[in-house]
Amino acid sequence: MTVALARQPIHEDLHQSAVRQTLALARRSVLGRLRQPAALAPSFVFPLFFAALSASSYSRVKNAPGFPKVDSFLQFGLAAAVMQGAFFGATSAAADLAVDIEQGFWERLMTSPVHRTSIVIGRLMSSLVVGALQATVFMGFLAALGVRVRSGPIGIVSIVVSASLVSLAMSTLMSTFAIKTGSPEVVQGMFPLVFVLMFLSSTFMPRELMHGWFRHVVDVNPISYLAEGMRGFVIERELSGWRFFEAIAIPSIGCVLALLLCLRALRRRLAQM
Amino acid sequence: MTAALGEDRTYGVASDPRTATVIAFMVKRSLIRIRRIPAAFLPSLAMPVFQLIAFGGAFAGALAYAKINQALDWYVPLSCLQGAAFGAMGLAFATVNDLRTGFFDRLRMAPGGRAATVYGPLAASMVRAIIPLVIVSAVGFIGGAALPGGVLGLLTLTAAALGVAFCASGFGLGLALRMRTLAAATLTQFAIFFALFLSTAQMPLDFIQGWVKPIARLNPMTNVLRLAREGFLGEVTWQDTWGGLLAIAILGTLTTVYAVRGLRSFDK
Repeated sequence: MTVALARQPIHEDLHQSAVRQTLALARRSVLGRLRQPAALAPSFVFPLFFAALSASSYSRVKNAPGFPKVDSFLQFGLAAAVMQGAFFGATSAAADLAVDIEQGFWERLMTSPVHRTSIVIGRLMSSLVVGALQATVFMGFLAALGVRVRSGPIGIVSIVVSASLVSLAMSTLMSTFAIKTGSPEVVQGMFPLVFVLMFLSSTFMPRELMHGWFRHVVDVNPISYLAEGMRGFVIERELSGWRFFEAIAIPSIGCVLALLLCLRALRRRLAQM
Repeated sequence: MTAALGEDRTYGVASDPRTATVIAFMVKRSLIRIRRIPAAFLPSLAMPVFQLIAFGGAFAGALAYAKINQALDWYVPLSCLQGAAFGAMGLAFATVNDLRTGFFDRLRMAPGGRAATVYGPLAASMVRAIIPLVIVSAVGFIGGAALPGGVLGLLTLTAAALGVAFCASGFGLGLALRMRTLAAATLTQFAIFFALFLSTAQMPLDFIQGWVKPIARLNPMTNVLRLAREGFLGEVTWQDTWGGLLAIAILGTLTTVYAVRGLRSFDK
């Protein structure tokens, strides 16, 4: 009885300490990313540049048959910019983790009395925060250029949540490679694969303008649904359950799957240490 | 003695016949590196092929609206030029690596003029550009790209790709010799990216609206792309050819001067 009573507070203490450790590591991770503006800048600048470039190059395409009804191509491109920002940012977050491993900081953390899962989740939290920040900055910047989110405040919040989840899912997936290899070069080298997935989807153009085998690939690529869900909040006035499923549930499922992979990679690395 | 050494610092191609031998060896070394370090060369091959497939599928509908029915006809030349230009970025990486390992100093002591250390990589980048040119074109033709311009169309595409490789590597080399860090390669990549995409890379000039249009009109890369594409979009005409050749000649001269001056500042 005495043992059972004594165990409970210890267990709660451990749980609380794991949460505290996660929060402390998350804070370090977020500050670490925000203190490197040079590393963070491409994930803000490039998506906005692409959005502006596409808006100018494809502005007349919005009149093409099958193109959704939009105010401007920039409005159509908002979701693509948010997605790109999340993907870009996720790669650099995972590369940071690989740098930690390469420089030995990771091993020092592992030998410290810190909960192992806290180390991983703490590191990944920066992606969640940066993803939300990117989506907010992009929407603010494009709003200044006249782009409106038609579904209103709920749509805006949903886009921010979706961007955070996409960023978290992608950085967790990329962190799996970081933990497996411990090489920032390998993680950076994975970016073209991410880039491939984004271009083989309807992120940049509506599916209605695609044909043949490419259309079939786009139809089965989950990123297409994710982009369309996010875009739905921008270009549709009415909120639908399907759009929430596409924009929120798909990246949430992605987060869970990627986290399972990441923790498996972590266990394997620890077994080798 | 110092004065004599100083006089030996020649930067012209024809200053010493041994310079040509050194250039030939540098080209050979560059080709051997492809076999020895394929990971350094493969991205310059894989990315244009991927871009060709992805852009050809994703933007086919947009191009059809601009009356270009086969998107690959539009994107094969762009991807060839990009492959050629990516090679230049690899060259900037290789040069920085040579500077760090001290191999570049050994090259400077090679017989012949100092210019070989500039003209060698420039020649190598043009030879290496042939590889993405052949592979990207082959993928394009397998995918259904047409070449109504025939052999002349292939010649104009080759001239444009080699010209872009030459100009981009001159720029990358000039930057690498001045900065001597890997940031030179990153900056070269950015420069190539902006030069290519702020032109008619994505859509014909008539279809572009807004801020990109005046930039694309003035960007010499628009002329080079017209030169590369003319054989894919119709017959080859002098009207579509001369602008691209002139742009390559001017950019080639400027970037070569930039690279040679970079070498001079390195020597100092």
